[in-house]
Amino acid sequence: MFKHLFKLIWNKRNQNFLFLSEILISFLVIFAVFSYLTYYYQNYRQPIGFDYKRVWAIEYGNGELTKNRDSLVMFYDLLYKSLKSMPQIEEVSYSSGNYPYADSFMSTGLTQNGQKFDRVSNYFVGADYKNVWNVSLTEGRWFLPEDAISKNRHVIINETLKKAIFGNAQATGKLIGDFEGANKLKVIGVMQDIKADGDFSPVSNAMFSQLDSNGLSDNHTILLKVAETADATFEGNLYKFMATSMKSAVEIRHVDEMRDARNERTYIPMIIFSIIAAFLIINVALGLFGVLWYNISKRKSEIGLRRAIGASGASVSYQLVAEALILATISLALGCFFAIQFPLLNVFDIPSSVYITAILLSVAFIYLLVLACSLYPGRQAAAIHPAIALHEE
Amino acid sequence: MLKNYFKIAIAVLKRRKFFTFISLFGISLTLTILMVATAFVDNILSPDYPDYKRDRSLYIRRMEFQNSKEGWMNNSNVSYYFLDHYVSKLKQVDKMAISTSPKSSNAYVRNKKIVIEYKYINADFWNVLEYNFLEGKPFSKKEIDNAELVAVISKETKDAYFGDEKSVVGKYISADNINYRVIGVVDNVSQILGDIAGDMYLPYTLSREVSGTNLMGSFTAILLAKSKADVPAMQAEFDQMIKKVPLPSKEFDRLYCNADTYMSRLTRSIKGSATDAAVAKVVSLCALLVLLFLLLPTINLVNINITRILVRSSEIGVRKAFGASSKTLVYQFLVENMILTFLGAFIGVVLSAVTIKLINKANLISNMHLSINLTVLFYSLIACLFFGLISGVYPAWIMSRLNVVKALKG
Repeated sequence: MFKHLFKLIWNKRNQNFLFLSEILISFLVIFAVFSYLTYYYQNYRQPIGFDYKRVWAIEYGNGELTKNRDSLVMFYDLLYKSLKSMPQIEEVSYSSGNYPYADSFMSTGLTQNGQKFDRVSNYFVGADYKNVWNVSLTEGRWFLPEDAISKNRHVIINETLKKAIFGNAQATGKLIGDFEGANKLKVIGVMQDIKADGDFSPVSNAMFSQLDSNGLSDNHTILLKVAETADATFEGNLYKFMATSMKSAVEIRHVDEMRDARNERTYIPMIIFSIIAAFLIINVALGLFGVLWYNISKRKSEIGLRRAIGASGASVSYQLVAEALILATISLALGCFFAIQFPLLNVFDIPSSVYITAILLSVAFIYLLVLACSLYPGRQAAAIHPAIALHEE
Repeated sequence: MLKNYFKIAIAVLKRRKFFTFISLFGISLTLTILMVATAFVDNILSPDYPDYKRDRSLYIRRMEFQNSKEGWMNNSNVSYYFLDHYVSKLKQVDKMAISTSPKSSNAYVRNKKIVIEYKYINADFWNVLEYNFLEGKPFSKKEIDNAELVAVISKETKDAYFGDEKSVVGKYISADNINYRVIGVVDNVSQILGDIAGDMYLPYTLSREVSGTNLMGSFTAILLAKSKADVPAMQAEFDQMIKKVPLPSKEFDRLYCNADTYMSRLTRSIKGSATDAAVAKVVSLCALLVLLFLLLPTINLVNINITRILVRSSEIGVRKAFGASSKTLVYQFLVENMILTFLGAFIGVVLSAVTIKLINKANLISNMHLSINLTVLFYSLIACLFFGLISGVYPAWIMSRLNVVKALKG
């Protein structure tokens, strides 16, 4: 049955050239949209990995503070205790400027067994960083004060980096080389992945080091976990307290608002893109509907003849719908050939599963589209009374 | 003759209402999307408040140090020292406006938190850019030299901080625990001009960054030439000067800094690098995207038009049998097509006016006001003609080749 239909359509391929090209281009557009949406959906599905609610980031200038190292350490220690003693503050931690959702990116490179790993996010964190964000460790332990005075710098890496360097083996206790390869860093723990760039961005390699007294003199950020009772009045008072203590410009940011701004950067273009794609597809659907309707109305006499000989209405509409679907298949075959190049060539460094899913979804979508557009004209054709159809000619 | 064609065209369109609907739907929505996109690009590129002297200006934003052997680089805005010591000495520069990138500070008034973004600027900033002062006046070189704690604020800030007060000149606004005296209020600036927009403008002498000999800092500058014709000479002089600037340390061996026209500045930040302004790249990328977007509706229209013609094949056969030349028929068809396209375009203009009003109301980008002006209408007219011709030529060619006998037989 299908071979027969295929042959008929192959003979008429010149006539149907426009139909075929329209399906092909629609498929490519749908493939692009679905790849885009699938990629972001897959990223969205990953667990966030940390608790961003009720976290405030205070960014301050440190130009007016003492330059004496020991006095500075005492100053920051006192500041920590003052903040921690406020009833509305639960946790306090110093941090480098590239905390989650901040528009700051600090990276370094690592070497292991001759292999270079670059673009490793480099975080410098205080002792209570883990408590502020409520992150969990899958291996090893968090930093202790003793870690600051060890021969090799003690670091904690995230799951993604661990898999990249060590595969499935245990990473705790092993040594990795820094970007020059000369100094060795000792892994004392592995942290669960956190989506620090927003809900729609993939997790990248990350390494956490302790913020020591050297780093503190260059530091500009304090992270706070606040209680439910922290309101605008408290924030005003906190602001005055910080501005007076640091004698500089101070900015208090709410991390959940920063997260919303970050996510907006992804999903607003996504929404615009989807609206435009939806419009294009409605356009195509209407066009296909009209073209199919005309093609079928041209064959009224042929249909009438079949009905007169004894074909049932259902088989007539089945044949017409099948023909439309086969036309779609010819186009989709060519479209898939182009689309399969994307996972094979690893375009944009996106995992192949995204492309494969997108291809499957697009094929299903196009079939549904063609089915929907040919069902109504097909049924109209089947409802033609044989006598009237034959009489027309 | 044209009047007849017009009447026939309307009659034909009314005959097959469904096909007419499909065509109008496709044309009007495609043109709406195109027009909104054009309005957006036009808003970004054409001189907007307060930057009206764009054709006489060059923009300095970033400086980059590179180590070409190891591939390291350091990239940042420029410092006051660089602008004062090197750039202000250029002879072709008539005036130089200096400002920092906006810094955020919080103000807590009337139980609300307001974020105030402030910038440090110089006296010529007010002369290069044309701000509209709703109240008061700008601060002058004297006040800057004396490092007086004066501020010019935007209307948005005035409403948020002072509420319904009529005049705020002489009142105090507090940011970062420092009290500044308000001496002027200006109209809001669209966020699209990110380097110029700000909530509060302060004299640069109050910034802690003006000392030191670092070449990198947080300043950007706008160079104003005496006339439009002097801009290339100003750019050449700037490039010559950059070649002679000494590198700060042995870690780096190359220094890049560019004084760009507004367009190059945009394209450089989109796809360019320190050495490549990428104007051609970005423009051709945009053109490619537009063409790709137009491809699907065009093919769809061509399909629909062919269907419409074939539906009328018996009518065409009769006319050919009576002696109408192919040329007449093609001409009539093209006129019909153009009428349909223009009808769709008219609907598209109405729809895009509504869409733009909605976008402006939603205030997605703060203070940005899209508008349909002559440039936008002009480009949409071109798109319209392009659409109409392309979607009409192929079906017309098909029609002219219709065999009379076959067509008459139906």
